[in-house]
Amino acid sequence: MEMDPLEVFEVEMPGEEYGAEKYREIIMDILQDLGLIRSIGRLYVYVEIGVPYFAVYGMIRGKLPPLRVRDVGDLVAAEGGYQITVEDEEHMAGLIRALWEAYGREKVEQPDRNVLVVLSDESPEELVVADLETEFRRDLMDALVRIAPEGFRNRRNEMGKDSFFFLAAEETIKPELLAEAKEKIGGMRDA
Amino acid sequence: MLDPVMFTGGVYKHDLVTELVEDLGGYLLQKNVTQSEVILLMLVPHEDMQVLEALTKELKGKLERAPLAGTEIAVVTPTLAIHHLPHPACDVAEYLRRHGAKSNMIGMSRGVAKKIAQIDEYETTLINEHDAVVFTFGNFADCILKKEHLYRALTIPVIVTGGPEMRKEDLPYAFEYVPNVGRIAHRSRKATEIGSLDNIVAAVGRALDSVRASIFKDPLTTTPPRVMDAVREQVPDVLSSHSPLPIALNLNGLRIKLPYDEYHEAVAGVRFEEGVTLGEIAKVMPSRMKDYILVRILPVSETGFVV
Repeated sequence: MEMDPLEVFEVEMPGEEYGAEKYREIIMDILQDLGLIRSIGRLYVYVEIGVPYFAVYGMIRGKLPPLRVRDVGDLVAAEGGYQITVEDEEHMAGLIRALWEAYGREKVEQPDRNVLVVLSDESPEELVVADLETEFRRDLMDALVRIAPEGFRNRRNEMGKDSFFFLAAEETIKPELLAEAKEKIGGMRDA
Repeated sequence: MLDPVMFTGGVYKHDLVTELVEDLGGYLLQKNVTQSEVILLMLVPHEDMQVLEALTKELKGKLERAPLAGTEIAVVTPTLAIHHLPHPACDVAEYLRRHGAKSNMIGMSRGVAKKIAQIDEYETTLINEHDAVVFTFGNFADCILKKEHLYRALTIPVIVTGGPEMRKEDLPYAFEYVPNVGRIAHRSRKATEIGSLDNIVAAVGRALDSVRASIFKDPLTTTPPRVMDAVREQVPDVLSSHSPLPIALNLNGLRIKLPYDEYHEAVAGVRFEEGVTLGEIAKVMPSRMKDYILVRILPVSETGFVV
């Protein structure tokens, strides 16, 4: 499904209008810090402070393809192997690790800070450097734990293919509470 | 009457300021040297302020009133986790520091949540060693109301901060409530946010005034800065303490950052010109903060004289 980044972002906290407004800011700040805004399409937050619990439902925008060697650097065939010139050093560590695993340490050389040479006939072009999807999901979990009020230490997390549901509460999470939170979120989505 | 002031200026010739203040009968509370700049916190006799102002002008420094100088304020957060720190608790602590207070940040071990929040005896007594305390709560009105038991047992004035507007009568145990602080995930930089920090400083100022007023009804046998001076002179080891502030002043005493077991006898034996020792006019006891020495000066009603 095509969605704009955060095209729907709703926060509902019955009886806590100020809290709802502030939590909107906190969620934006944290998602921005972790660079997640562009990956989330819709976000619904429901908090019942009387019980209390904190529920988040979100829809993920499209699947992120894995990052391959050709995406992170320029690949040219050189004498006895291949040379990779990396512009952005962010993925350098991941790249070296992937090459080590595929070819062995003795076959990978680094003559310059941003240049890697692979001594092999096999092109490393399609080698996966980083699994962005897994990284995104890990960052997303981190963000949700940071966003939820700290005292809500009982958490439940359902990660789907294109959506996620997160519930945090002070007391043990029982099936009834889970059903209630899901119903409230469902109501927000239908509205 | 001593006025609390803060001098900011170059390191060059700043000793002229400290010498002048000593000659005038004032006290140097704290000296911070940051590269080529120096910040001095001092108590200066009100009637001699003009002399100091003239010298400050000559040295091209800046002299400001520091209403919170000579006091220690605790800033308490429900825990030390990322949810409560660094914003806004560090902003509050730093802002109090800029107004001359010595602020200590305290993260409670089990202060989180609505139903399970609790404070223990150690935390209570540690907070009570300060002159006032600022509790930083969150954005839910319901939680702020329920967390009252955290500060109910404290004997010092409590400033509660949080997000929503609350009615004063709903928080009977708080000295004052400052709204629009709450939980945020960025540094305070907007005018409204800085304004809220100003409100906290003003509230703390009023809380300290109330403490001063109650001390005034039964004055202390001597003033904490005078004790500080005598301790510095007669227990010189305190000068080689590694703490940034080896002697922290409170309104009713001081905390000396030396090990209690080794030094409490030397501190109690500090003698004043009038012939009395510190042990006779003050309680010298172990502080709950590390192994420091806590001194609480007795009021005139208990000693019967003033030195």
